Formats: sequence, structure tokens, C-alpha cells
Amino acid sequence: MKTRRLVLLGSIVLVCLVLITVQSRGRSSGAGDVVAVITTPIQTLLARVNRTAFGLWATYLDWKNVRAENRRLRDENQRLRVDALQIGETVDENRRLRRLLVLRDRLPLDTLTGEIIAREWGGWVRSLTVNRGRNDNIMRLTAVIGPDGLIGRVVDVRPGAAIVQVLTDPASTVGAHVVRTRTSGIVEGEARGTMRFKYMARDGAGILVGDLIVSAGHGGLFPRGVPIGRVIAIDDRGSALFHYAALAPAVDFGRIDEVLLVTGDTAHDIAAHFPVDG
Amino acid sequence: MKSLFALTVFGGGVAHLTLAPALRVADVAPDIPLLVVLLLALRHGPEFGGLAGFAAGLLQDAVSGGLVGVQALTKGVVGFGIGTLGGRFSVTQPLVQVPGLVLLSIVEGLGRFVILKLFHYPAAFGEVMTYVVLPQALYNGFLGAALVFALAWAESLRARTS
Repeated sequence: MKTRRLVLLGSIVLVCLVLITVQSRGRSSGAGDVVAVITTPIQTLLARVNRTAFGLWATYLDWKNVRAENRRLRDENQRLRVDALQIGETVDENRRLRRLLVLRDRLPLDTLTGEIIAREWGGWVRSLTVNRGRNDNIMRLTAVIGPDGLIGRVVDVRPGAAIVQVLTDPASTVGAHVVRTRTSGIVEGEARGTMRFKYMARDGAGILVGDLIVSAGHGGLFPRGVPIGRVIAIDDRGSALFHYAALAPAVDFGRIDEVLLVTGDTAHDIAAHFPVDG
Repeated sequence: MKSLFALTVFGGGVAHLTLAPALRVADVAPDIPLLVVLLLALRHGPEFGGLAGFAAGLLQDAVSGGLVGVQALTKGVVGFGIGTLGGRFSVTQPLVQVPGLVLLSIVEGLGRFVILKLFHYPAAFGEVMTYVVLPQALYNGFLGAALVFALAWAESLRARTS
């Protein structure tokens, strides 16, 4: 009995170590693909069920308020409220999709729209799962943007889905600059779910709270000029070589439902297509 | 046993995908599959705990896009460990449940950090402990205790009706 247990524990450890070692040596994970084939349709279904369930819950709460407000008109009011909620939700969805489509049509880039089907928000990894994958010719390191700014990059591609590492992921780094002063630096994600702009102290004396940080476009990974965030605090480290600025993200990663995946050449400055005053 | 195993792995995964984002408090989400594995490992022993932890972790690894195998390893080992130790401790009291779950979550988090660090995970130890491991461990402790209470209540209700 004891031997059987030890063999089981040893097998688990061995299988995991083999899996990790194979991936760390740059070989694609077949196990990941196999699991993804099963999990992607489930994730898609769950994302829909989740949204529907929360929509129904919100409808129920409104229904309770209406009933308390006017008992005599309860039935009529309920129907109207439910209708209004449905219309409001549709209008909201239409507005989001229209903004995305307007952006897609105006951008001088080849893009593909995608829907978020899952979010990983545990702190170790901050990622979104998009319903576009290998079947849509999505490649690793594809840039992902939204109407408000930069979202992240694709770090893993599965047959029907792709994992997007968002900018607040602790492993995320993006070359960026301050629009007003042109100070260059790097935007890094932090484990607490925030972002910071790291810059050379001698170049960043003029950075102020409220300054807009955009992608630098170096390296050909991200297009130039995509908003990343605004400076909310400056961490002046005296005589240190690098100073840091805390950023408020341009994109609300927790609420985004649709994204654009940049499938073609990214060598363009697209700053003019994003809001700079918001 | 097989259906319980499938329920643990997929039920925990489904709960993690649907409930965890909704249960987020101050950007801290509970690790529901870990809770499910730990609570069932206590009842069903080390083989169940080890295998369920391994499978649930593998599913989470595949979904999150991290290194496939890291959570499978830590959850498998923790599930096996608690399954082995479970028979020797009384875990019916909240004074044992909450600190126990907090401690096990911290152990699992430390294990993940050590493995990820071997593969050049960039975040610092203090930062990960302060903003990820400890808040999630506390959340796991209280949520897990609530889950134990709910299960005990459901069982007593079932016993009364049957």
C-alpha cells in the first residue's frame, strides 16, 4: 500500500517535471494542445452561460426594486424594465462593437476581431483567452489592442483559442515613451496587478502626473503610438539610475469583452486613431 | 469514485472559470480547484488527493497559459500530502480549518514560486508573497471554511430527511 502511494507520488512529480522541462527547452507542448482541445469549447460555453447568468441576476435585482416602488404597476413595470435592460444591454454591446469596428476600419493594419472567452486573474499570470487561434492563423507574439489602447500580446496559440498576456502580467514588458516629453522607457507589469514606467532618471525630469504613455514601436512587435496608460504617481529614487512612474492603464482589462489582433505588419504610427484626452 | 474524481477536476475547473472572477475582492481571487482538492483529499486519502490535484492543476495550467505542469505538480503534491496527513488530524473545527487552509495555500504558493523561479519568473519573492500568495491564502482559508460548513449543513439536512 505504502509502496503504491510512493510510486503514485513519484509518477506525478516525474510527469510534471518532464512536461516543464520539455516546454522550457522551447518545444511546443502537445499536452497543452490536447487539454486545450477539450477546454476551449467548454470555456466558450461557460463564458456565455456566465454572462447570461449575471444578466439574469441584474434583471432580477431591478425587478425587485420596481416591485417595491409601485406595487400596482408591478407587472407592467417589470416588463418595461426587462425590455429596457435588454435594450440597454444591446445598445451597450452595439456601442462597444461599433467602436471596435470603426477602429478596425480606420487602422492601417491587418487585424482580426476576437471575443474574450476566459480570464486568468490569479496574480501569477494575468491573461485573457481569445476565441481565435491556430485555425485563424494567429501567431505567437501577435499584438492585441482595443479601442482604448494596448492590451498585450499573444503568448500561446491553441487550435481554437489564444492566450493573451495582458500588460499588468508580472512578466510583461513593453517599450514605451511619454507623449509630451518623448522620454523613452519600459512599461512593466507588477504582481499586484498594476503597471509602472521605468525610465532613465537623467531623461525623465520633466515627466508629470497625467502624462500619457504610448507604445514606442521598437522591435516591430507593437505598433507605435498605442496608448498604454497615464502617469498617476512618480517614484523619484534620488540618485538612482532609473526612476519609476506608476501608471493607470488606458484599458480596463477586467471589463473588456472584444479585442483586435494585429495579424499583419505593425510598422505604423497609429497614435492618431486613439483618444488622447480621456 | 471515478465520477467523484471527474466532478472534482471539472467541477473545480468550471467553478474557477465562472465563479472566481465574480468572487474577486480587491483583485484577489480564490483558488477554488485547490480548495476542492484539499477538502476531498481529506476524506478520500492520498491517492485521490494526488491524482485529483495533478489533473485539476494540469487543467488550470492549460487554461491560464503558464508552464503546463507547475500547478499540476504543486497541487498534486499538496493533495497527496493532505490526503496522507488527513487521517491523523481532526479538521472539523473552524479554528483548525481556516489556519490549515491558509497554511496549505501558502505552501502551494511557495512551491509554485520556487518552480517558476527555476525558470526565470521575473517577480520578486516579497512582492509575490505580499500581493498574491498571502491575500489568496487568507481568502482560501475563509472560503474553504464556509464551504466545509455548507457541506456539513447539507449532510445533516440529508440525514434528517432520510
